[in-house]
Amino acid sequence: MVDLERIKDEARRLLKEGEVRGVIGYVQGPKGVWAVPALIQNPDDVDRLIWNPTCIHNLSLFVVEEKKDQARQKEPDKRPLAVVVKGCDSRAINVLLQEKFIEREEVILLGISCENSGVVDQKKLVSLLHGQKIEDIVYGDNGHIVVAINGERRVFAPDEVLADRCLECRANFPVISDYFFGEKIERESAPSFTQVEEIEKMRLEERRRFWEKEMARCLRCYACRSVCPMCYCAECVVDPISFAVEPTTSAEEKAKKIKWIEKSPLLSENFVYHLVRAIHLAGRCVDCGECERVCPEGIPIRLLNKKLEREALRLFNYVAGMDSQAPSLFSTFKETDPEDFIR
Amino acid sequence: MNSEHEPRIVAFLCKWCSSAGSDMAGVSRLEYPPNVIPITVMCSGSVSPLYILSAFNLGADGVLVSGCHPGDCHYIKGNMYARRRMALLKELLPYIGLEPERFQMSWVSAAEGLKFTQIIKEFVEQLKPLGPQTQLRRYL
Ligand code: SF4
Ligand code: SF4
Ligand code: FES
Repeated sequence: MVDLERIKDEARRLLKEGEVRGVIGYVQGPKGVWAVPALIQNPDDVDRLIWNPTCIHNLSLFVVEEKKDQARQKEPDKRPLAVVVKGCDSRAINVLLQEKFIEREEVILLGISCENSGVVDQKKLVSLLHGQKIEDIVYGDNGHIVVAINGERRVFAPDEVLADRCLECRANFPVISDYFFGEKIERESAPSFTQVEEIEKMRLEERRRFWEKEMARCLRCYACRSVCPMCYCAECVVDPISFAVEPTTSAEEKAKKIKWIEKSPLLSENFVYHLVRAIHLAGRCVDCGECERVCPEGIPIRLLNKKLEREALRLFNYVAGMDSQAPSLFSTFKETDPEDFIR
Repeated sequence: MNSEHEPRIVAFLCKWCSSAGSDMAGVSRLEYPPNVIPITVMCSGSVSPLYILSAFNLGADGVLVSGCHPGDCHYIKGNMYARRRMALLKELLPYIGLEPERFQMSWVSAAEGLKFTQIIKEFVEQLKPLGPQTQLRRYL
C-alpha cells in the first residue's frame, strides 16, 4: 500500500528546506471526491495532498506549463519542482528528458506505484453507480476499488472501473523517480492492442465510415492538444501563431503565409488535424489517456495513438518513455528497418 | 466516371537521385503519363509527413516520396530516417480508411529513368479504379 503520510513527509521536508520551489500533486477538488492537480508552495498546505483512484491527471503537463511560464519570467526561481508521478506520468517525464525539453535537475520525482490497480474511468464509475453521489473512494485489497455511497461500501474489481489504459498498462510503476512510494508489483495486464485490432479487422470502407463518424464530431477545441504533455510546441502547424496577420502585414505577405489546414471543423480538416497529431506523437505518446478523457465529444483519440504505438513496437521494437537516454524513435534508424513497402 | 478519372499524383523527389532520375527519363525520351506534379526536395529525409497530408488535403489522388537508394543518400542517411517515418504513415493512412495504394515510396537513382517511368505508370493504373481521393481533400 502506498503510504500517503510518507509522501507528505517528503514533500514537507523538501519545501521546508527550500530544496524545491513547489510540489505538484493531487488535492481534493471542488467536485466531491474527484482529485485535481495543485501546486503547493507552503509546507503548511502539504496536508492537502491526497492519493486515491481518482488521481487521474498526468501531472507532467504542469512541469511543461511551469517551464514555459519560467521562460517568460525575468528572474525565475531556479530551484527544482517536486512532482507526483504515476507510471504513465513518469514515462512522460522520460520523453521530456529525452527530448531535452527539461533537464533532470529541474524535477524531483515523487514516484507512486499503482501496484495492482490504477486510476478509475470516471465514465465507467458514473454509469455503474447510476450517477449517485460518491462520498469516498479508496484503494482496497488486490487492486480493488472501494467506493462509499449512501453510507454503504461498494467494492469493485479493477477491470470493472479502471481506465482502459490502466488495464492495459505494461509499467504500472514509475520508471524514473527520486522517491518511490508503494510496491513495484508486476501485474498482469490486458492485451494492449485489442481495440486497434478490431478496427484493423474492418473492411477499408467500414474503417473510413467509422472514423468519419468520429471525426465529424470534432469541434477542434484542441482540448486534446492542450492536455497533452507531449504537445509542448510553441507553435502548432494547425494554427500557426507566428504567421499571425498584423496591421502591417501586406496583402502579398498574407497570400504567402502557409496555412497547412483550415481552422474550421470540416471533416477533411479534422482528419488532417488528427493525423498530424497522431504522427507527431508517434514514439512520444505514453498512453496516459488524457486526450481522450478531456474530449467533450467522446472521440476515441487513443485508438489513433495506440495504432502508432503498436507499429513502433512491431516495426522498430520501440516503446515510448522507457529510457530517457535512448535515442527517440525518429532520431535514429537501423539498417534492418523494414522497407518492403518501398519500391 | 471512375474509369474516366485521371489521377493527380504529387511526387516529392529528392534533388540528387529521384529528381535526376525523372530528368533522365525525360532526356531519354521515355514516355510516361502526365499525371505527376513533381516537387523537388533536397532529400527524402526532409519530407515531413505533413507535406504528404497537405498534398492529399489540397487534392492529390496519390502521393509518392522518392529518394536515393540506401547508402546513396547525398546526406548519408536522410533516406534512412525517411524510411522510418514513412513506414508509420504508410500504416496510419489505411487505418483511417484511405486506400493503401494512394501513398507510395520508392528508391530511384539518377540513372533509373526507366524505373521512374514504370513506377508512375503503375501508380496511375492503380489509382484510376479508385477514383478521386475525397477523404482528406478540402472543400467537398
Ligand atoms: S478534444 Fe475532442 S473535440 Fe476537441 S479538438 Fe480534440 S478531438 Fe476534437
Ligand atoms: S497523446 Fe494523449 S495519451 Fe498520449 S501522451 Fe498525449 S495526452 Fe497522453
Ligand atoms: S539526397 Fe536523395 S534521399 Fe537523401
